[in-house]
Amino acid sequence: MESNAMRPIVAVLFVTATCAALLAQTSAPGRSDVPAPGFDLSGYWTAPLYEDAMERGAGPELGDYGGFPINDAARLFALSYDASRVTLRHHQCDGYVAPYSVRSIGNARAWEERDPHTQQLIAIHWYNQTFEGHRTIWMDGRSHPPAWAPHSWMGFSTGRFVGQALEVQTTHLKQGWLRRNGLPESDQATLIEFFVRHGDHLTHTSVISDPVYLAEPEIRSTDFARQPIDHQTWLFACDDGEQILDRAADRVPNYAFGENPFANEMRDRYKIPAAAYLGGPETSSPDLLPKLASLTDADGAAKTKPASGPRASSRAVDPEPHDGNIHMWPLRGGLFLLVGDSGNVVAQVGDEGVLLVDAGAGLLAEKMLAQVRLLSDKPIQYIMNTGFQPEHTGGNVALRASGGDPSVRGSFFALQFADAGVGATIVAHQNVQNRMVAAKRAAAGLPSDTYLQERRRTFHNGDAIEMFWEPRAVTDGDSIIHFRRADVIVTGDIFTTTQYPPIDVANGGSVQGEIKALNDILERTVYQHQEEGGTIVVPGHGYVSDEHEVVEYRDMVVIVRDRVQAMIRKGATLDQIKTARPTADYDTRYGSTSGAWTTDRFVEAVYASLTRR
Amino acid sequence: MRQGLLRLVISCSSVFALTSAALAQRGGPPQAPPTPKAQAAFDITGQWVAVVNEDWRYRMTVAPKGDYAGVPLNPNGRRAADAWDPARDESAGEQCRAYGVAGLMRMPTRLRIGWVDDQALKIESDAGTQTRTLAFGAPRSQGGDWQGVSIASWDRSAPVVSGGFFPGGGGRAGSLKVVTTKMKPGYLRRNGVPYSADTVVTEYFDRFDVPNADSLLVVSTEVVDPTYLAQPYWTSSHYKKQNDTTGWNPTPCAR
Repeated sequence: MESNAMRPIVAVLFVTATCAALLAQTSAPGRSDVPAPGFDLSGYWTAPLYEDAMERGAGPELGDYGGFPINDAARLFALSYDASRVTLRHHQCDGYVAPYSVRSIGNARAWEERDPHTQQLIAIHWYNQTFEGHRTIWMDGRSHPPAWAPHSWMGFSTGRFVGQALEVQTTHLKQGWLRRNGLPESDQATLIEFFVRHGDHLTHTSVISDPVYLAEPEIRSTDFARQPIDHQTWLFACDDGEQILDRAADRVPNYAFGENPFANEMRDRYKIPAAAYLGGPETSSPDLLPKLASLTDADGAAKTKPASGPRASSRAVDPEPHDGNIHMWPLRGGLFLLVGDSGNVVAQVGDEGVLLVDAGAGLLAEKMLAQVRLLSDKPIQYIMNTGFQPEHTGGNVALRASGGDPSVRGSFFALQFADAGVGATIVAHQNVQNRMVAAKRAAAGLPSDTYLQERRRTFHNGDAIEMFWEPRAVTDGDSIIHFRRADVIVTGDIFTTTQYPPIDVANGGSVQGEIKALNDILERTVYQHQEEGGTIVVPGHGYVSDEHEVVEYRDMVVIVRDRVQAMIRKGATLDQIKTARPTADYDTRYGSTSGAWTTDRFVEAVYASLTRR
Repeated sequence: MRQGLLRLVISCSSVFALTSAALAQRGGPPQAPPTPKAQAAFDITGQWVAVVNEDWRYRMTVAPKGDYAGVPLNPNGRRAADAWDPARDESAGEQCRAYGVAGLMRMPTRLRIGWVDDQALKIESDAGTQTRTLAFGAPRSQGGDWQGVSIASWDRSAPVVSGGFFPGGGGRAGSLKVVTTKMKPGYLRRNGVPYSADTVVTEYFDRFDVPNADSLLVVSTEVVDPTYLAQPYWTSSHYKKQNDTTGWNPTPCAR
């Protein structure tokens, strides 16, 4: 009876609301303050390769960077690139980053993901056949991850409908290609895209901002045609294998500055000045046209070597929070990253107790402890140190004191030592203890359980944990720590995403040992798919990585080593080498002109490693 | 249930009709429908500069004869491209073949876009000193020149079936759609890649305001030419908005 009485009221309200919505939409066309209705991106799409047909098909011309608003670092990186680098095992299945993936050859497919209960749009998925790039564009208003979260080929994307377009913002991209002739896009790049449908013609516009390698945002527009039938070929098979047998592990094909044999190919073939096709923001402007005829070979040659002048510093986002708090990021298999107290800390939690890899600087030890307490109410049983540096061992004293090692307390040690098992056991290579003693560090923070051989192993919380000594990496006491079941490797300062490797020659470090250590990490990693995912690599500083970040870092160290080595062989002095700027293509990513670890100090360390008798 | 649905549709239609009538009466005598200028989906006016980074070699320089990679020419088209003779064009007074409507927007150029009146837009290029008139409604010329006859409309996607339970469509900002015919034959690229007088050029102009950065104008172009193309030829060209008039440098057509 009651429901019958309500019917007319409900009907009136419904009609009024529906009609009001219709009126609101029809009376405000195109107003940017009105939320734009969505449109359907679903279906099969194919990009006709009419634009940049060579690049997107067979491949771009070597040295052709014309129209790209790159900076000097990007150009030098590209000119240093030897295409045979893709024969390296760890580069054979490199994927494409999202903006290049959209531009690539191959089929694409889009579909919606909706909440089954509310039918609200959660995400739009865009799948590219080439390298099986699967993008998820979150439409539900979620935030982007923090700076210490992992990067991926596709990055992290959020979208909204604005005007006639789907606008997408993407962060957390891996280092990849702007163009696959060596022109780099850094892991600091961010992306804004606009998808617009005109019937079955989709126009995709991308705007890449890259503080490391672009002087201005790079703009692209790409067309897609909607296809009525399934393309059927959606996979991109790739598995790495040996391409060149017996190649040394520390060999990364590259050209010295000014010595790329293909830099003048376009000049010779098409009679275009090198200064034009070697790119830069000025080369995408109509204002280039009247200047083309006056560009000389000398102008081109000048673009192939580092310019004189002050060194550049890193333009990368600092991935550490610096907000006085400890932040947690879940890894896998009971492992968590704790970030905020300088060096990264990894906590393993489980029934047996808490195991920490490194202890941070100790400036936020209480907050570190509080975060550990949120993860587990068990005591900290072990602290494993990857090295002796204060930003990794500074928290040893406080964190050790808060814990205890029950595996010792109930043993015969307790009969001999009154403090057996009191406090966590600190495990490290013997040289860590030696260096800390020499530096007069507090006794309570010294490693209490050291090892001397190349491998230390233990089984804790159901995981097999291996510590591998890297004898002459950044110091002589570094360890990488591999949680085999979780498949997480913690590297200490052998690998960071924030700086050149802090090779401490005075404390036993060397560039050769650093390269060996990075290759040792790569000997243990397995990617999940197209050179990403799989083994998680936690750097000493910086964001959670996988083997791709380690490979790019290894390549950088090898290439800088090669340049310094070549100059030494030619009789150059350290000052001459520093003036030649052998790190010029990496300084905008890793360089520093101030602070504890400058670019000059890194070059000095490489030089010292290579000239030490 | 069906009766309820029918009642709702009728009710909604009635509300629409009554509301529309009330709105019409409120302002006194019936008003003329808004002009295309008043209905503009976005502000397209101002000076825009081409960002030439796609097909860079073909756009910034004149590629060798016979280099038509990426253009879906049919055999006739390839023959015509292979027979390109710039000296012949020059002697025939046809230096502007590459600046015709199917090639102009790919040129390294600046554009000045403004309203001629309430019913027409004008696009001027400094490259080749060309002028296009985009008429909403009746054409403004007979064609037969480099830029042909361009008919413009604001293209807002609308539901295929509308009304009642199928709202939407009116709220989308839309694009500027331009269909051009009746042009002189010209070149898609500066090295003599041809299009014929039978070509139909359909363009969509979209403006995107990048958050905290440039405003972009993206022109998505479809060239359909039964004479020289095996299939429709699509490109998209992009421009950045200038806040001033610097760089405007009208030049004659040139190779």
